[in-house]
Amino acid sequence: MADTATPLVEMRNIEKFYGRIHALRNVNLTIRHGEIVGLLGDNGAGKSTLIKVLSGAVPYTSGEILMNGKPLTLRSTNDAIDAGIETIYQDSALVPQLSIARNLFLGRELRKGPGFLDRMDQERMNSVARDLLKRVGISKNIPPTTPIGSLSGGERQAVAIARAMYFDSELIILDEPTNNLGVAETQGVLRFVRDARNSGHSCIFIAHNIHHVFQVVDRMVVMRRGEVVADDLSPKTSSIQDVEDIITGEHIAA
Amino acid sequence: MTDSNTTEAPAAPPRPTGVVRLLIAMPEFGPLVLLVVMLVVFTSINPAFLSLTNISNALTFTVELGLIALAMTLLMTSGEFDLSVGSVFGFTPVVMWTLFNTGSMSLFPAFVIALVVAIAIGAFSGLFVTRLGIPSFLVTLGMLLMVRGSALWLTSGFPQRTWDAGEQWLAEVLVGDFYIGGLRVYMSLIWFILIALAFHYLLTRSRFGNWIQATGGNPGAARNRGVPIRKVKLILFMLTSAMAGLAGIISSIRVSAANPNSGMGYELEVIAMVVIGGTVLTGGRGTIIGTVLGVLILRLMRNGIVLIGVPGLAYNIFIGAIILGMMALHAALEKRHNEGV
Repeated sequence: MADTATPLVEMRNIEKFYGRIHALRNVNLTIRHGEIVGLLGDNGAGKSTLIKVLSGAVPYTSGEILMNGKPLTLRSTNDAIDAGIETIYQDSALVPQLSIARNLFLGRELRKGPGFLDRMDQERMNSVARDLLKRVGISKNIPPTTPIGSLSGGERQAVAIARAMYFDSELIILDEPTNNLGVAETQGVLRFVRDARNSGHSCIFIAHNIHHVFQVVDRMVVMRRGEVVADDLSPKTSSIQDVEDIITGEHIAA
Repeated sequence: MTDSNTTEAPAAPPRPTGVVRLLIAMPEFGPLVLLVVMLVVFTSINPAFLSLTNISNALTFTVELGLIALAMTLLMTSGEFDLSVGSVFGFTPVVMWTLFNTGSMSLFPAFVIALVVAIAIGAFSGLFVTRLGIPSFLVTLGMLLMVRGSALWLTSGFPQRTWDAGEQWLAEVLVGDFYIGGLRVYMSLIWFILIALAFHYLLTRSRFGNWIQATGGNPGAARNRGVPIRKVKLILFMLTSAMAGLAGIISSIRVSAANPNSGMGYELEVIAMVVIGGTVLTGGRGTIIGTVLGVLILRLMRNGIVLIGVPGLAYNIFIGAIILGMMALHAALEKRHNEGV
């Protein structure tokens, strides 16, 4: 499945300082095409910082990022979105007051009508949203004009993932997508992630729950104290216990 | 656990059906009912309430605050508000008439400069809020004092005469009147209607309207989607200030005086109109239709309670009660909404 020629994203020797705090130490991370990578680590290990760097939300101190072999400059989240990197944060992905369709197209609204008096093409946005909801497997009849606020947590994740897929993001970063979700909802989200990979998207999957990670990823990367301490763990060959030991640093003590 | 393909998508809460439930769910529903009840009660006690003269008078005074309320609706939907509108309402006409009366320029350039000053005040507040991250309550409170102080200092506290306005075309365009049948209609009412329609279109149909709602609803998400939330807020601060200035100028021509003290307390009355209409103080949800209803409710209440013989001084008791009642209603509806009932 993986396109072996050039990796999708390569982060090389990334360093990040917050003042005197060394948040990322010489981080190297490679994401291949069509691959789901689990990013694991305890609180404060640097996962969030790494993701923020890759999504353009915070500048990095030094290092370089390549996408499809070409250097990538990330000055803002817009740069990342334009390059095809879509980050789905847990609490700041969707606007609860707006409808599903308006959320899907937020910042990239379809418009019609003459220049100054142009308006959103709500019919087209709604019909695209309806198709998309069907495609990501929300088969129940939810009108695309429903506000996000009245959807369940799993449905919201589905909408956010659907948005990333619709806009052809090559890399979808999911920040704790299964937090606070029930069992059935979690399975739904994991299925969306697999569907996203099967349609050619790469994913970085961040979760505290290692069981969820094991169900869906091709490879696991573990961070500790700002460093990548393992980047080739496979759910097929490693056990959950092995991974937990690496996260906590027990394997060094042992 | 691996056989997830058979797992159904998560269960959705039941959704409201039926026209009545949809109607009740609309934020404009509460204020609409209140307005109808008021009209019925006041008219049944004193039929003069619905007379053409009375309606015409009530509408005239309505629009000056209403113009500010329209812009404030957009600003509050984006999650901010502006306490300095009353001061700008007093200050802008003072600037315009001072420029005109000293003979330094004719009325139209003075009008333009005064509005630019108003917009600059809004821009200043907006930059403070968006760049320094200071809450709009504090920024615009400071602005309220600075602008009011400037108006008083500039005029030494004396009103500026505006009676030379009579022959000016600008005065006719802003506050001229004409009759439709027996109803005396002021130009300011036409402006109010046009601007209300434009803002409603802007908020509900345009891309910028989507950005306004997103900025107030979840600023983080809006920013992540590439919405320029600072720019959105800045533009709305400038718009609100411009409308406050315009309203002040209209008022100064109508009452033939630019009083540096005018507009005191208007900021709170305007915010009351907006929240009674169903716009949320914390942002994300706003309605121009609701604000128009809120404007009418407050103005007709002021007018009606006098006509039915309640002492005018008791006006604020009713307004306060209406605000509290409306907030309770909106909170109850919001709770129902969030529970997916």
